[in-house]
Amino acid sequence: MLFNSLDFAIFLPSVFILYWFVFKRNIKLQNVLLILASYVFYGWWDYRFLALIIFSSLVDYAIGKKLRNEEEPIKRKILLWISILVNLGFLGFFKYYNFFIDNFVEAFSFFGNKIQPNTLDIILPVGISFYTFQTLSYTIDVYKKKLEPTDDVISFLAFVSFFPQLVAGPIERATNLLPQFYIKRVFHFSAATDGCRQILWGLFKKIVIADQCAVYANTIFNNSDSYSGSTLFVGAIFFAFQIYGDFSGYSDIAIGTSRLFGFSLKQNFAFPYFSRDIAEFWRRWHISLSTWFRDYLYIPLGGSQVGTWKKIRNIFIIFIVSGFWHGANWTFIFWGFLNALYFLPLLIRKQNRNNLNIIAQNQNLPTFKEVFQMAITFCLTTLAWVFFRAENMAHAWDYIKGIFSFSFLSLPEVRPTNLLVLLVFFIIVEWIGRCQHYAIEVLLLKKPRLLKWIFYSFLMALIFIFSGESQQTFIYFQF
Amino acid sequence: MKSFLKYGALFFLFFFIIEKSVLFVLWKAPELEQDRRLEFVLEGEMNKDLIVLGSSKGASNILASQLGNETGLASYNLSYEGSHIVFHHFILKTLIKHNTAPKKIILLIDTHYQFINEPSLVFRYDRLYPLSKYNHINDELIGKGKKNMLSKFFALSRVNRSNFQLSEKETNQYNPFDNSGSRPYVKRNLKKKFEYLDDTEPYNPEFELKEKIEAFNNIQKLCSVNDIELICVIPPNYSTYNATFVERFKVLLKPESKWVVYDTLNSIYKQKEYYYDQSHLFKNGASVFTSEISDFIKNNSN
Repeated sequence: MLFNSLDFAIFLPSVFILYWFVFKRNIKLQNVLLILASYVFYGWWDYRFLALIIFSSLVDYAIGKKLRNEEEPIKRKILLWISILVNLGFLGFFKYYNFFIDNFVEAFSFFGNKIQPNTLDIILPVGISFYTFQTLSYTIDVYKKKLEPTDDVISFLAFVSFFPQLVAGPIERATNLLPQFYIKRVFHFSAATDGCRQILWGLFKKIVIADQCAVYANTIFNNSDSYSGSTLFVGAIFFAFQIYGDFSGYSDIAIGTSRLFGFSLKQNFAFPYFSRDIAEFWRRWHISLSTWFRDYLYIPLGGSQVGTWKKIRNIFIIFIVSGFWHGANWTFIFWGFLNALYFLPLLIRKQNRNNLNIIAQNQNLPTFKEVFQMAITFCLTTLAWVFFRAENMAHAWDYIKGIFSFSFLSLPEVRPTNLLVLLVFFIIVEWIGRCQHYAIEVLLLKKPRLLKWIFYSFLMALIFIFSGESQQTFIYFQF
Repeated sequence: MKSFLKYGALFFLFFFIIEKSVLFVLWKAPELEQDRRLEFVLEGEMNKDLIVLGSSKGASNILASQLGNETGLASYNLSYEGSHIVFHHFILKTLIKHNTAPKKIILLIDTHYQFINEPSLVFRYDRLYPLSKYNHINDELIGKGKKNMLSKFFALSRVNRSNFQLSEKETNQYNPFDNSGSRPYVKRNLKKKFEYLDDTEPYNPEFELKEKIEAFNNIQKLCSVNDIELICVIPPNYSTYNATFVERFKVLLKPESKWVVYDTLNSIYKQKEYYYDQSHLFKNGASVFTSEISDFIKNNSN
């Protein structure tokens, strides 16, 4: 089920009413309702893969319980590896099997040996990368004794399958989300209205910004050989806004929906395009994944507490693995590699933690230096997005070559005025709200109700107008 | 919870009022269009004996007023520039639903582009968007995935960005509409360079799209069911006559449908001054071609 669908518009109020009016007095029943709702939400796409989620959840639940009574380090390690192998095994099979087979065959062909590829027609289960990492974090935290294993199977199933963030994150840690299923949820007016506001802004980002940018980004990327360098650059910028609006929009809707049910999820995007360097960008983009890799891969590898060469190695490992997490394609791997390259000078010069504060905090406008830094970071990120969006490496290289041609100096052939107006509005609102969890969190909050309502109605009107045309699925569903 | 529900309901009421005020934009939109033919069809004001359907070739190459004068049949041209056969089927369906069925339909065939994927021929959604206040149009847009089910209930979901262009659209100076819906080329565009094309490439049915073949079959079926005489017309181009397409076309034609090819021996069709560009006749050429169609109707009328 898509957040931007009519199905969800009926589903959400129905679950909300049952949750707060019918099962209000019983946490267990509320949790059961959330599990059922989550399975319906997921099964709407393909009910066959529900078995996968349930199996994965039960394996980690059982391993968690075993870990509680097991003190022998070797046995604990074996239990941890069973969980890792089961979870990554599913992920590897569904997501990477064909990629490895194809590359294996190509490598053999390179040395003159022709072998018959035995690829399978595999459907990638939606959200597998997200819930696999979520459930893995539970077992690892229990193994490291950072978290008490749960005996409450209902809460655990609800934690893994919690529908707002099931298919595209944020990837929640068991330490944050699981305990929220144990305690009675209380309805707070302010939290619920805040949730509604965040859903509204998320829908705006997805339907008005991302889906409209997608129209032009798709046209330009799909016909890249017939456009000038300037148009290709504009196409890459449209994709940069598309992916941001799409993914952060999804996160906003997920977080807002959770708030309606009395849950609090972690912030997943913190205005990444206002970053002054790549390190800051990665502290602000897909935070739940970056921190997952930091805690479960980077730090176990030694993190930054090792020598320079090992630090560099660790950085390349996490960026490349992060790229590979996104998809079984060399374009994603190179995208990760390129970001590691961007990161490298900051790491070597020990400047990767320079910009920890919010840009132009307590000021209305950034300084010229900050504008320049933001522009450079945005351009570097946008160039990297070309690899993320391209069909294959050859397409990406041709696209990049096209950008750096003389025709870059010509006027772009694609100049959608309406979309540019919308983007300017979007950037202004995001800038104003950059110190908050999402752009309109406190915008106009202290103004008269009529003014607020006019603003919200304006956003809703744009969502309605644009919802009919060129509706796209969420990009991160494919991951 | 009470406050949440109270303010939620009040906000939705507030939004509902704003939402309904958009109806004004929706109602005003058709009036701003230069081409109001589809609106007249939807209003049931298109009760004619003969209707011309087609793409830009149909609009410019066939002069409905001349057809009317020569055959005595009240004629009108409902051809749309850049439209393909699926769109022509939609126009015919709409015409029959809201008006008295015509006696004859002239369907202009875009020669070898008719059934294949030709990017310049599309379903003209831009003609539908300004008319989304009509349920028939909105249902079609929902069916084609261009609007969602919300548009059945919310005026805002029916609105399109074209509805906010509040000035009247400009007329085309090269081929303005005449009073019979045709758009003959009356002014030459000196930037248009074209030469006689020696088109000998055989037509390949493998590239045909199922959707377009189906639309053609449906047009024939609609005509048959509504007792309409369908006359398919193959127009001239500033190029050689491609017989391989015509052979294929005859296979797709039902026995009750008629067809006519331009007079391939007429030397006028080999003279550049009768053309506006490679595939569109100038007004003088259109007049010659229309006369041929009139003669066919007079000689082959039921």
